[in-house]
Amino acid sequence: MSRMTNGEVIASARDLGFAYRPDRFAVRHLSFALHRGEVFGLLGRNGAGKTTTVRLLTTLLTPTEGGGSLFGRELARCGRAERARLGVVLQSESLDFVSVEQNLRLYAFLWGVGREAAKARAEEMLALFELGESRHRKPWALSGGERRRFQVARELMHDMELLFLDEPTVGLDALTRSRILDYLAQRARRGLSIVFTTHILHEADLLCHRIGVMREGHLITVGSPAEIKRTYRGPRTVEAEFERVLTEAERSALEARLREAGDGLEITALQDDLIVFQARNAEALVAEVARWATALGLEFERIAVREATLEEAFVRIVSEGGRTPLQVAGEDP
Amino acid sequence: MTLPPVLRLVVRNFRASLDTITLLVMFGQPAFLIVILGTMFNQIIPSVGASGSYVAFLVPGMIASQMITGAVLAGRIFWLDRRWSMVEQIFSGPFRRYEYLAALLLTTLLFALVGVGIMALVALPLAGLPTLSVVELLVILATIGLGATFFGALLIALGGKIRSANLYFTIQSLLQYFLIFVSTVYYPVTSSTPPALKAVVYANPLTYAVNTVRDAFTHHFGVGDLTAGIVLGSLATVTFFLAVWSFKGLEFGPVQ
Repeated sequence: MSRMTNGEVIASARDLGFAYRPDRFAVRHLSFALHRGEVFGLLGRNGAGKTTTVRLLTTLLTPTEGGGSLFGRELARCGRAERARLGVVLQSESLDFVSVEQNLRLYAFLWGVGREAAKARAEEMLALFELGESRHRKPWALSGGERRRFQVARELMHDMELLFLDEPTVGLDALTRSRILDYLAQRARRGLSIVFTTHILHEADLLCHRIGVMREGHLITVGSPAEIKRTYRGPRTVEAEFERVLTEAERSALEARLREAGDGLEITALQDDLIVFQARNAEALVAEVARWATALGLEFERIAVREATLEEAFVRIVSEGGRTPLQVAGEDP
Repeated sequence: MTLPPVLRLVVRNFRASLDTITLLVMFGQPAFLIVILGTMFNQIIPSVGASGSYVAFLVPGMIASQMITGAVLAGRIFWLDRRWSMVEQIFSGPFRRYEYLAALLLTTLLFALVGVGIMALVALPLAGLPTLSVVELLVILATIGLGATFFGALLIALGGKIRSANLYFTIQSLLQYFLIFVSTVYYPVTSSTPPALKAVVYANPLTYAVNTVRDAFTHHFGVGDLTAGIVLGSLATVTFFLAVWSFKGLEFGPVQ
């Protein structure tokens, strides 16, 4: 559990499953707990079961296996009272046939927000999501990115404790994405819990306290972005550039030394003044290269171990066989 | 003060889902028919049964047919809500499914009553002010209510099961025109009506609703109308449960 959250579990899944047909499970054996103030990212390839999971946790679907809870109440028994504490931005676009501004205010009305409060909140959202100039346009006449912004803006018209965002940043430019993520991070710091699905892994890395990776309806792993990267990073890449071009003999000697000490070594470039290689014991090899260079009186222009990205870890997780959940140490299911 | 959920949904149905042009067409068309058909046929039809003039015969029929207009508009709202994922969005909020269904049926009824008001106003210069007792007025309203529930629930039940807009709107149009034309909205069933056509007209629930409203207008309300009311009420109950069943199994996701 992250330091950003407190210990209160506000949503959970316990061996949760859902089958659209008896032999066709969209989600199975899903177990995790979401804490108040936590931003939880659900990652997975298309069809991995992320949207079904969101639908189960928002009570839009009734589990066919297992269970879970929402605000301390069993999922199957949750109703209006629990849903009134949720916000849901669906993956599919939803809209009413009125202008953007009227949509915002009408949605607030549906949620029982007073007229004046709705008016003020609508102005805030129109400004925040840069929809002010489109306020009198119909949502379907907006560009794809504007429509997505509109979806998120509309959901934020009412207060909530837990916000589900199913791919909220699809089709958005980098600047807008960053602005929305900043806003969500700010809201999370003020106690809003968020469940967030995305294919943009950099976003998940920035925003999420914990991440769950799904594959074929199963939750394969849960952990903080750092833990996931560390656990699934695979061989790391080292790039070293020397102050001068190495001789043929020096290159051969360096290669021999690396092959002797390297674990899973793969040299991808060794020419002129440059060497690039991958190895599971990258840090140890950096020290080895440094010792070798010092002995020769060689200096580096640069030497660095490239940090594993979440994307690399994700690719390894979803492309590995088997369905056994690989729980990251220290994380509760 | 916050309105109850059902009323919030009804207000939203009125404010959000229908554009002015649709409303003008839906309510303007029958109003136009009263004026044109009423005026033109009045010249060539000397008298129609107890109603007297053709206009006096037509107006109760057009008033009763507003239950179809209301049902079509509510069915359209439901379909568009499915198409644009508003059903899913609303169900993920502080609403129960039966509240959304109740709001749709209430919307059907209110649209039908708005239609009734418009038809009555349009007919006023042509047919004059009808003299209705309180009982007759209540009979008309109850018949419109039962009919609106029957047709509204029928279209909602269909809309919950069909995943193609083309199919839904084709069925809706067919149903709408078939029901109105094969009923007694525009013409009476007489002894010279072909038996097959007579059978179809009497198999149409709209016929019973139209006849009851017409009998109330002509002060000929009788046991037959009471039976018709019971039949219409039973049918409305059946389609209501069909709509509930359709809602229980409602699948989310894309509809085209």
